[in-house]
Amino acid sequence: MIRIRYLFAQELWSPYLAGGLLGVVGLLAVGLSNHLLGASGGFQNLAGIAGQAVAPAAFDNVYFNYVMPAVITWNVVLLVGIFFGGTLGALSARTFRWRTMPDKQWVEAFGPSRVKRWGIAFGGAAILQYAAGIAGGCTSGLAISGGMLLAPAAFLFIAGMFASGILTALIIYRGRF
Amino acid sequence: MSSFLIALVLGLVFGFLLNKAGLTSYHKIVNVFRLTDMAVLKFMMSGLVVAMIGLYAMRGLGWITFPAIPATYVVGNLAGGLIFGVGMALSGFCPGTCVAGAGEGKLDYLIPGILGFLTGAAAFGLTYEKVFPQISRLAAYGNVTIGQLWNVNSWLAIAVFSAMSLFLFYLIDRGLIRKDRLSSAK
Repeated sequence: MIRIRYLFAQELWSPYLAGGLLGVVGLLAVGLSNHLLGASGGFQNLAGIAGQAVAPAAFDNVYFNYVMPAVITWNVVLLVGIFFGGTLGALSARTFRWRTMPDKQWVEAFGPSRVKRWGIAFGGAAILQYAAGIAGGCTSGLAISGGMLLAPAAFLFIAGMFASGILTALIIYRGRF
Repeated sequence: MSSFLIALVLGLVFGFLLNKAGLTSYHKIVNVFRLTDMAVLKFMMSGLVVAMIGLYAMRGLGWITFPAIPATYVVGNLAGGLIFGVGMALSGFCPGTCVAGAGEGKLDYLIPGILGFLTGAAAFGLTYEKVFPQISRLAAYGNVTIGQLWNVNSWLAIAVFSAMSLFLFYLIDRGLIRKDRLSSAK
């Protein structure tokens, strides 16, 4: 019991332990509710809800009515869980802290500008979400959930993601790669 | 309703594990692409090995049926992955890790990050009918698994993937990755 409490207070776990447990979460999602984990799907539903509230005519299309309907879905609830799961993790290791900038490696690569960080965070997120739409899912919804079912799509996605991720990091970090 | 409760609990554990693996940090995500910290790869591949074995075993025992297999359409899966990698290496997060990081009090994840995902999601939904049907028809194989596509036993595919993962873990932990030359890296 003391050892378990000690484990929960650790800031970082072995990625093998955390990853293996994630695998259990992935198979429980299928076993308990016949769903696949996936973060990007919930954002599609949420964007539909927000869009139909702001511009009902524009968002009254096939996609937001039938493909990814503008309602609270299993994936939206999952997103709420992920958010508070992050909170629980941070509280358990006493690392919860409001902050506006990432760790110092960011500053080393991009400088201390908050406008730059927030701009790149916004643009990067928009790129990620659009790309997940084209690919059919994101890291959790396609790479992990598709991969565990042995879908070729997942391995194509992972290959693409690492190829361009490595190239992008190479450009950002140039001589310090 | 109970299905939503399951989603909430699984989400909580998922976000908790992303936090504990350190994947809610900018440097953990970017450094897998710099090949100086392979935690992201270890996390993903361990998860895949456990889930593959568990899922195919449970189906073999007749306990579960599989949900729809994510569709394979080679050009779209690959192009999406290529664009995704750029966004991930720039921002240092992906959709799941951004949401978990937002829950830790990271305001750059919570405000521009989540607004960016919603913007990208709106853009995709509004352009879906013009873009997606064309892409998803290119080199499309439907909702297949590797076993069905190549007519091989799924357990053989799982064994190959597991062996590859363990060998890769061994190589990484033997120190066959580059030393980080950034001054911020300890």
